[in-house]
Amino acid sequence: MTALVPYLRRFGIAVVTAILFVLLAATTSGFLTGSNFRNLLDQQSTLLIAASFVTITMIAGGFDVSIASIFVAAPLFAMQVENSTENAWLAVIVGVAVGLIVGLANGLIVTVLKVNSFIATLATSFMVFGSGYLISDRNVLRSSTDAFPAIARTRFLGLTTATYIAVAVVALAWVLLARTQYGRHVYAVGGNPEAARLAGVPVGRVQAAAFAMAGGAAGLAGVISSSRTLSALPSDDFSFVFGVIAAVVVGGTSIAGGEGAVWRTVVGAFFIALMTNGFNLHQVDPIWQRVIQGGVILGAVAIDAWTQRRAT
Amino acid sequence: MSRTEAVVAVELLDKRFGATHALKAVSAEFRAGSVHALVGENGAGKSTLGKALVGALSPDSGTILLDGEPVELRSPGDAMRRGLVGVAQELSLLPRRSVVDNLVLGMEHRVGPFVSDRANRRFASELLARSGFELDLDRLVGELTVADQQKVEIARALGRDARLVVLDEPTARLSSHEAMALRAIVTDLAAQGTAVVYVSHFLDEVLAVADTITVLRDGSLVQSTPADEQNHDSLVRAMTGRTLDGIFPTVEPVAPDAPVVLAVEGLTRPGEFEDISFELRAGEIVGLAGLVGSGRSEVAHSIFGASRPTAGTATVDGRTTSGGIGHALGQRVSLIPESRRDQGLVVGRSVRENTTLPFLRRFRSAVGIDRRSERSAATNACAQADVKTESIEHHVGSLSGGNQQKVLFARAMLADPTLLIADEPTRGVDVGAKRAIYGLIADFAASGRAVLLISSEIEEVLGLSHRVLVMKEGRIVGEFAGERLTETNVIQAAFGVDARTTEPPA
Repeated sequence: MTALVPYLRRFGIAVVTAILFVLLAATTSGFLTGSNFRNLLDQQSTLLIAASFVTITMIAGGFDVSIASIFVAAPLFAMQVENSTENAWLAVIVGVAVGLIVGLANGLIVTVLKVNSFIATLATSFMVFGSGYLISDRNVLRSSTDAFPAIARTRFLGLTTATYIAVAVVALAWVLLARTQYGRHVYAVGGNPEAARLAGVPVGRVQAAAFAMAGGAAGLAGVISSSRTLSALPSDDFSFVFGVIAAVVVGGTSIAGGEGAVWRTVVGAFFIALMTNGFNLHQVDPIWQRVIQGGVILGAVAIDAWTQRRAT
Repeated sequence: MSRTEAVVAVELLDKRFGATHALKAVSAEFRAGSVHALVGENGAGKSTLGKALVGALSPDSGTILLDGEPVELRSPGDAMRRGLVGVAQELSLLPRRSVVDNLVLGMEHRVGPFVSDRANRRFASELLARSGFELDLDRLVGELTVADQQKVEIARALGRDARLVVLDEPTARLSSHEAMALRAIVTDLAAQGTAVVYVSHFLDEVLAVADTITVLRDGSLVQSTPADEQNHDSLVRAMTGRTLDGIFPTVEPVAPDAPVVLAVEGLTRPGEFEDISFELRAGEIVGLAGLVGSGRSEVAHSIFGASRPTAGTATVDGRTTSGGIGHALGQRVSLIPESRRDQGLVVGRSVRENTTLPFLRRFRSAVGIDRRSERSAATNACAQADVKTESIEHHVGSLSGGNQQKVLFARAMLADPTLLIADEPTRGVDVGAKRAIYGLIADFAASGRAVLLISSEIEEVLGLSHRVLVMKEGRIVGEFAGERLTETNVIQAAFGVDARTTEPPA
């Protein structure tokens, strides 16, 4: 058992997800079908886009809750641009830019003003939610072109473009974190900021860039979401970031920073998605689904803490 | 209970921290009404023993006897309930709370479920009156000077009705007349029947206040004798009497025409160090000695560009290093920091990643990092530094302390520096690794680089350095080379024999 711990610690979530997959495939009719998977992928696309970059922020030692507000507000800015210019691509650029700007602001507040990242992003969240109401004049905004919905809804080899975009973004985050100098610096900054500083790593810049990119990714996720639903709605809804953080944490990325991976977040997202999918196919009461989901997240984090303790 | 009965005794106490054997089968008795001093060099184990007595750490083996009964101290709280109280070297106060709140912390007077402010104040002012400290009860502790904070800490220990009090370097932050006042309090405390354990660097102070003096060296108890049988010299001999013959490599003499690599002039950061000036030539190893807290590491950080001096300059090959760490790395200055776990390594990452961390730019390829060239560079550097690991992909945290330290040397190899600053390069490593690290340092110098060696181990500084600078309270107080480079000279300069006791009370 002791010999298994490091192995389980590394791949536990993947093993558990695979078991869940086999279980559902064996017991649930309608699970192992092409359309179920295509839907699953399409539904997870926005979450994966944001979560892959939030993973980087978290590994760098930051905690970003403003993702939800960007997810809500960025598409409102994008939609206004689309409505007035009829240019869907410009709308996408504006949506991502809004996210990048908010993210960069978060990054500077955290690294220059040294405000705790949870509090800083909570505060900017309210401002961004508010700006969403202002730009939309509290109205639901609807797409006025054919091009805008096509961004996420076009099908290619059976899969939606939203799915392809998500795959591309995940791949980008993955390579950035696992293969580049920046990625190494992210792990070093989150793992031991003082050692990183003395090794010449620009600690503040690394963290600020992580926040900026996570903001941009959340902006893109918001735009893709509104492209899927043809509309954008102002709200104060924090739920998106909870789903994102749940995926990151269940995957095994440490909220203490310094440890984790993009693949983990992908697996974590699919673990939660498969669970929900299974519940739905078995017609489990959605209220009970929440209770169970909460328990699962708690379990994942507790196991993480337990193995950490054993490791030291 | 008779006055001489041992309140606490320890038998065969043993404690390891990784590769460091901090306490080796130490047995001692601490008697009621007596001041028992623990002295030794940095890392001799005196603080470890003090912490074991108050439950701040648990020994690996051995017994602690309280009134002759073996006890297991599960936590500082547990020890405190038994009357064993520690005053830590690092203060453990609540900075955002008032003096009163800190004094009564954990033993607040209550009326029913409510805390009684009046009773707490009365208790606190009685406590201060008894201890002879003058403090404003309502000030926030964080606003007090460090010396005053120390007083709060000591007064709090008095208030616990302690049977045994461990004072760990209680005067390290006090001015000389405050230290004098503290000495009176300690004597008083013992006169009231408390057993006092007094851990200190300051030998004259120890000689003045203690009844019994126990000397520790490398975790072992060397001697435990009445204080009046000892003097300053006999204690220094006991503290340092170890022989490390044969562990040091031959250090090549510096060529007479060797160019100056590092020039430091009037370097100052108020509160840390002042007016530091010296030169370091190619091939030269200069030791920077002094007590912990004398400003050695701060000087090193400033030379490395990790902190900006308010005055003065440090130049390497004629160019200033104050442009920041990246700049210093560009000028090929390498720093092996004092604490490898806190400042050196990212312990959750691999040996390879830790070795190449500052130099990833060199391995850039079209898509991120060229792992093959990175791996071969890391493998080479680790081989040169004699890092013993099955694979450079292992977590650096899984290596022994000595090998972790060698990973930092491997990193320095990659930097190919003209100046290497090694801060406590052998702290907490075993003798074999020490020998290897000494070899690395000598090789660095032999290949024409300059080495600044900071160490609390006098033998290490003496055994490797061409020249030794001694720091005390932020200033260079001595420079020794050639025949004057002796243990006694360095220690006497470092301990400053002794402004503290000769200065008249203010």
